[in-house]
Parts: sequence; C-alpha cells; structure tokens
Amino acid sequence: MLTIQSAKTLLTKMVAASVLFTVAVVPVWAEAIIDKPAPAFSGAAADGSTINLADLKGKTVVLEWTNNECPYVKKHYDLSGNIPALQKAATADGVVWLQIISSAPGKQGHVDAATALSLNEQRGAVPSNVIFDADGTIGKLYNAQTTPHMFVINAEGTLVYKGGIDSIKSNKAEDIPKAVPYVKEALEAVKAGSKVPNPSTAPYGCSIKYAS
Amino acid sequence: MNSFLWRLAHCLLLMVFTNAAHAQSDRAATEQVAAQLVASVAAVQPGSDFYLGLNQQIIPHWHTYWVNPGDSGNATTIEWSLPEGATAGDILWPSPSRFSLGPVTNYGYESNVTLLTKITAPANLQPGDTFTAAAVVDWLVCEEECIPQQVELSLTLPVVGDSASVGQGSPYIEQALTQLPVASPYTLTATQTPANTTTGRAQLSLTLALPAAQISQVKELWFYPYDWGRIQQSSPQLMKATAQGLELTIETGEAPLTAGQSLKGVLVIKERDSLSESEPSLITRGLEVDVPLTIASTNTPATAEVSGVINALLLALIGGVILNLMPCVFPVLSIKALSLISHANQSPTQIRLHGVAYTLGVLASFALLALILILLKAGGAQIGWGFQFQSPLFVVAVAYLMFAVGLSLSGVFYIGGSAVGVGSSLAEKPGYGGSFFTGVLATIVATPCTAPFMAAALGYALAQPALIIMAVFLSLGLGLALPYLLLTCWPRLQRWLPRPGAWMERMKQLLAFPMYAAAIWLVWVLVQQAGINSLIIALGGMLLIALAAWIYNGTRYASTRWNYVGSFGALVLIASVVAITVVSINTSRAQATVENAASTQHWEAFSEARLNALLAEGKPVFVNFTAAWCISCLVNERVALSDANVIAAFARGDITYLKGDWTNRDPEITAFLKRFNRSGVPLYLFYPAAASTPQVLPQILTPDMVVNVLEKTDF
Repeated sequence: MLTIQSAKTLLTKMVAASVLFTVAVVPVWAEAIIDKPAPAFSGAAADGSTINLADLKGKTVVLEWTNNECPYVKKHYDLSGNIPALQKAATADGVVWLQIISSAPGKQGHVDAATALSLNEQRGAVPSNVIFDADGTIGKLYNAQTTPHMFVINAEGTLVYKGGIDSIKSNKAEDIPKAVPYVKEALEAVKAGSKVPNPSTAPYGCSIKYAS
Repeated sequence: MNSFLWRLAHCLLLMVFTNAAHAQSDRAATEQVAAQLVASVAAVQPGSDFYLGLNQQIIPHWHTYWVNPGDSGNATTIEWSLPEGATAGDILWPSPSRFSLGPVTNYGYESNVTLLTKITAPANLQPGDTFTAAAVVDWLVCEEECIPQQVELSLTLPVVGDSASVGQGSPYIEQALTQLPVASPYTLTATQTPANTTTGRAQLSLTLALPAAQISQVKELWFYPYDWGRIQQSSPQLMKATAQGLELTIETGEAPLTAGQSLKGVLVIKERDSLSESEPSLITRGLEVDVPLTIASTNTPATAEVSGVINALLLALIGGVILNLMPCVFPVLSIKALSLISHANQSPTQIRLHGVAYTLGVLASFALLALILILLKAGGAQIGWGFQFQSPLFVVAVAYLMFAVGLSLSGVFYIGGSAVGVGSSLAEKPGYGGSFFTGVLATIVATPCTAPFMAAALGYALAQPALIIMAVFLSLGLGLALPYLLLTCWPRLQRWLPRPGAWMERMKQLLAFPMYAAAIWLVWVLVQQAGINSLIIALGGMLLIALAAWIYNGTRYASTRWNYVGSFGALVLIASVVAITVVSINTSRAQATVENAASTQHWEAFSEARLNALLAEGKPVFVNFTAAWCISCLVNERVALSDANVIAAFARGDITYLKGDWTNRDPEITAFLKRFNRSGVPLYLFYPAAASTPQVLPQILTPDMVVNVLEKTDF
C-alpha cells in the first residue's frame, strides 16, 4: 500500500516533470514545424536592405538555401535551369522567393553581394532577393542542413512545406523530369488553397558550410 | 601467378584496343578515392554464389556515404553489367561511422571500405570461358566540400568446373564480411513516446537486453537507422543501464515511425578489448535491428511509473483473492469460516476482531516474505515468486508436499483434523491468537501455489525499490485475507456460506486432485532439471511417503506402543526418502548436465595439460578463450562458432575444440594470453595437426573465415 510519504514524493515528481516539460516545450516556436507559424527572422539582403519575414505576411514566401559551387545546386541551376524556371513562375504569381546563403566566410558558397547578384544574372535566376546569413542564425533557426533545402510559407505566415527540391537525391540533371517536384507541388497547392500533399520530405545536397 | 599474368596481359591488350572512355580495368582512381573491383574467388564455378566487392581507399579527412547518408550526402551506387543469366543482389553495407560538421551529421566510411554484392553465376557457363563483371560506380566524396564522382570498373575471372579450384580471392572481401552487421544475439525492443502535439517530436527508446556483467564492457553504443527522418541524426544518443539491459534514448526526426511499423537499422557496439586502460583497443560490431515499435501509453515517465505501481497493486490484490481458491488455501479458509458459524455465541465486534487478527497474521507473514526477498535482492540474487523452483531439490520437496497434502485431503491420513496440519494446533487455539496464526498458516500454505497473476505483479515488483516490493506483497496479503475479513465484518454474508454437510467431505476429497496434479507437474519440471533418473526417485519417494502416511494413520488409535512404533516407522521412512532424494537428485542432475553437454556442445574445457597432451598426439586443436562478460565473444560464438558449417568442419578435420572460460580471471589463462601479447579476450587459436605454433584468428569471426582457417592445407 502506498504510504502518504511515498505518495507525496510521487506527486512532487509529477509536478516537477510537468514543469520541466513545459519549459522544454516553450522554445518550440523558434523551430520550423509544419502547420505552425514559421520562425521569424530578419536578414541583410543583397541590395543593402533588411528583409523581415513579418513584413512579408500576406504573400507566399519560398526560402531556398543555396551554395553556387555545390554540385547539387549546379544540377538545378547550370545543368537544367530547373530552379530559375521555378523562380520565374513563382515570382510572376506574386510569390516572394528568397535565396539564403548561410556559408561562413572563407567556406564554399560564401560570396559578397555583387558576386551573388552577378551569379544569378549569369544563371538566369530571378529570386526576389538574396539574404546573407554568414553567422548561420537563420539557417540554424530553420535547421537547414543541405543546399538546396527548401521551405514554403503561406500568406498567413504558416510553414506548409520543408524538405528537398524534388524526390530523387542525385546530382544528375536527367533525374529531374523523373522526380516528384515537391516545391512546385507545394506552391500549386498553396495557390489553390488545398493541402500540400508532401509537407515534409528528405532534403538532399551538400551540407551547409556553417561557421561552426 | 598464372591468373595474374593472364589478367595483366588481358588488361594491357584491352587498353590498347579500347576507347579510353570505356574502362576495362578493375581499378580506377580520382583525386580522393582509389577504387578497385575485387572478388571473393579467383575463378567462377557455374551456378555458384560469390561476392564482388567495390573497395574504396579514401584519402584522409574525406569520406563516402552509407546507405542512409545522414543529414546530407549521397550513398554510393553500383550499376552492374553482368553476363546473361547472372544476377546481382543489393549492396551489403559494412557498419558505418559518423561524421559531424556543425549541426549536420552524416553516416559513412573513411580511409578504407569494401561494399559487397552477392553474385550468382549462370549455370550455363563452360569451364574455359570468362566471366566479366562491369560496374558503373557513383559516389559522393566529401571533406567539407563534396564532389560527386563516377568511375567505370570491370573485372574478368576465368570459369572453372569444380569448386576446389575457385581459389581464395581478395582479402578485402573477408575483411568486409567481418564488418557486416550480424543478427543480434540479444533481444532488442523499441518503444517510442507519443509525438508531442506541438513539435511533432518524440523520444525513441531502443533497449538491448545485455546481461549486467556485459554492460560495463560497452564503450559506445550508436544506432544508425536505414531510413531518413526516423531519428534526429545530429542529436546525442543517451545510453543508460536499466534492469532490462542497455537503453538508448534518441530524439525522433522529421519522419518518425508510427505504431505497428518496424525500426530498422544497425546498432554499433564498441567494446573494450583489453583490461588495461593504458592500451585500450575497441572491438566494433554491428547488430542488425528490425524490431516492431510500440508506442508508450503515457507521456511523462513519472505518470507511467505511478500507473505501473497502481496496476501492480491491483493485480496483486486480485491475485491474493484468487489465492483463496487454490487448493492449498481453501481448506484453511473454509474451516475457519465454518468455525465462525460455530462461534455464533460471540458478539459481532469480537467476530470482526477475529477477522482483523487473521488479516494481521496474513499481512505479517507477507511482510516477512517481502523483507526476506528485499534482503536477498540486496544480496544480488536473481529471484522471483517461484525462485526456489530453479533448484531441483526444492522442486522435489514441494512435489512431495503436494502429494502429502493430497493424501491428507483424500483421507489417507489426518493431521490434527485440519487439512494442512503443521502448526494447526496454534491455529485451533481459541481467541485472537488462533486467528492470527491461522493467517500465518494460510500464507505458508499459499507460497507453493503460484497463481497466474502472481508472476506478473511480482515480476514487476522485483525490479522496483524496496518500498514498492513491500507494497505489492502487502497488497497480495490483503487479497488473501479479504474474503475472510469480509465475512467477519458483514455477518450477513455468512448466510451465503453453505450449510455444513457431507458435501464438505466430498469437497475436501475433490480438492486432493488438484494437489496431485500439482505434484505431477512438479515431477515433470524435476525431470527437465535433473534428468530422467530423477523420475524414479521422485515417484519412489512418493510411494514411501504414502506408505509412511498409511502406517502413521493406522496406528493412531491403536495402543500407545503401536502408536510409537507407527510414528517411528513413518519417521524412518520419511527420513530415508529425504536422504535418498537428496543424494540421488544431485547425482542425476550432474549426469544430466554432462549428457546435455555431450549432445549440444562440441567443446571441452581448456587446460594447458590437455592442450599439450593433444598436441603431443599430433591432433589439431582449436582454442577459444572467452568470458561471460565479453560481448564479442558471445556474438562470435553465436554467429560463427555455432554455425552448422563450422561444426561440420570441426568434425571433418577431427579437430578438438577447447574452450577457456576466463570469467573469473583464471591465472592459468591469463598467463597463456600474455604469451600472445594479449591482456583480454576473445582470443582464438588454431593448432593445425602436428604444429607447435598456432595460427591466431582475428577477434571478429565469420563462419566462412573459420572454415577457411580450419581447412587450410598450406601454411
């Protein structure tokens, strides 16, 4: 039979566990979770301005982590023009497409504003803007791990897609037509107001060259 | 030699006559990786199975990837072009390592790895033909930056007719085979907490049922899942020793498993090799994981604990009530209940107090039992409710007790007028003392009768701290005492008690049969433990007991002299039963162990004298130094040394298998190990026939490797 003493100890344990659990749960809003508000951030853009996610409410936002030297990014840019085509179609629809570069200074993919803009021009890429995240804050906030790693946020500010650009994890351009185009699919769903069919998929690519 | 020259000539010729883009070589190199296609044989037999391996030599700090590359990266792929009719399986992946770059964790290989593929050669090949396997291999090699690379390799092997001339093949293959994950000799269980509604995250617990002695050997334990998203690959995996073994707690990832799905992957154990900490080396072994996942029913560990305790208490209570129905206890209860009726002249309060006294007697006895259990547990013994049942002597004693009780119930003899008579005089004492001792008696008598609920509640309780054990036992006692207590508190229930009559005697006699059944079951358990000879001993003992009972009963009402003769005779018979049983059961058990050993084991205990004697006779000997706490020793024994092919090879070569058990750090074995510069186990030695120096085998064994060593003819 439980004595009163042991019952008290158990009760204390339960209360302590519940408190700790709640505390652990609190920082959750600073994590990228499907169907929850996308974590807020602000970053320096290539044109010198500061972009705030909160200001973009009312518009669909696409976040694309990129590194121009990564073979997987090259697959979708130089070798196929896949992402530039997506950018063109999306921006024409009023979607805000943000390229984010989280490579630390001195590491692969880290470029200055002028280089970033000229690279986009060379590759025919038309993102709405390029954000420089050299200290990796935004990348770690979203737990971005690869380039490319894609996130789609709807007009209400809810994260509706995160993961890879498509379903075949290769660096070969001929695999693009065979793959399921997750991001294209997600944007179409958001436009139609329907549910995104594959909201969380495996991202693939080179690892993001964070500072640490 | 011939084959090498032939291959070289073949290569040179082809290089001359072939377009450079279509490589015909079994080797290709990039700046980071030197790749080579190797085979487990030097020649192919039609219709046979063999391995092809892609060996990658990777420059320092760079790595290639496992089947699940981790947070980023890409696994190596091989596209085969084989002769018609040949089939290739999926890549067999050696156990991976992990590499972290900031928040990104990848799984893969560095410096040297061989990826295996099992190939089945077509049956229609002719000796003298060639078998050419071509492969287009794609991999991603990364240090910080990643480079996808592709090479084309091709390997040509001659075809031979018989299996004897297929040859040895590349040592890379044998090395890779030892690095493949093996079926786990330990049970694996996987549970997961329900996903947090906000974050979608859960906690996955993977438990490896390692015995306590082996847990301290584990330096590192890491789980590599085959699929993306099952776990947070960058999160630490917390290792904890629990009563069930070693538990890994891992945070789930983006695609956690749901109930009913299976967790698949590789669990990599790194075990300390030697005793001295100054030169520790690690033995790495991968265990294959494929376990169904259960979702825990509660969220926080604290509430789970509480509900667990409450469940156990309830089960114990119910179990205690059911114990009343067991033939061991029921006679006591029924007689006590009847005595209630006979004590009708007492006031209701007094009757109630009798009930309380009985309950206290039961509770006190159970508390004593719990105390003994707690003390024994503290002493480190492995116990359960029927703990005594591991000893054949106890089993036979209880069988005799059941039989004797059955005889008593059948009416062959009576002890003091109560069904189970020991201490019944105390129980029959009028007053509260009598009720108290009846309670004690009920407990003593209930002990051998294991009710099904008991095992669950007690099994749970024994893993808990002392307080919980006491609580569960008291709950059990309360259940046992409850019916009688209720009867005393609500006299109205007594009306439900059946009126005394001839049915009572019939009932008593009927209850003898479950007791006989229990005796029969116990004799069956005894035979399992102590061999077939124990059957005659147990049954003979029962015969003598029945004889003793008859003599005793027959002389109860005779003259005083016969009374003593009867009692003395019965006593002598019982004493001889005890003596014969004790002696014979032990012998029988020893014999049974030896017989078991001979039939299921194919080894002898190691001693240097025995080894030298065998070597002097010129016989081949295989020596295995192992210890109960050594994990790789056990894995090797299960995976390699118990394999049917290996046992057949031992028989074919007439090889004596000596096993040295170093669990207690036997000094003779320690000295022997030192001779081979080892300070720990496992150590495997093979002395071929008429050889003085042994071949030392690696510490990770595969069946094929052992057979090859045993059958090697050239040294």
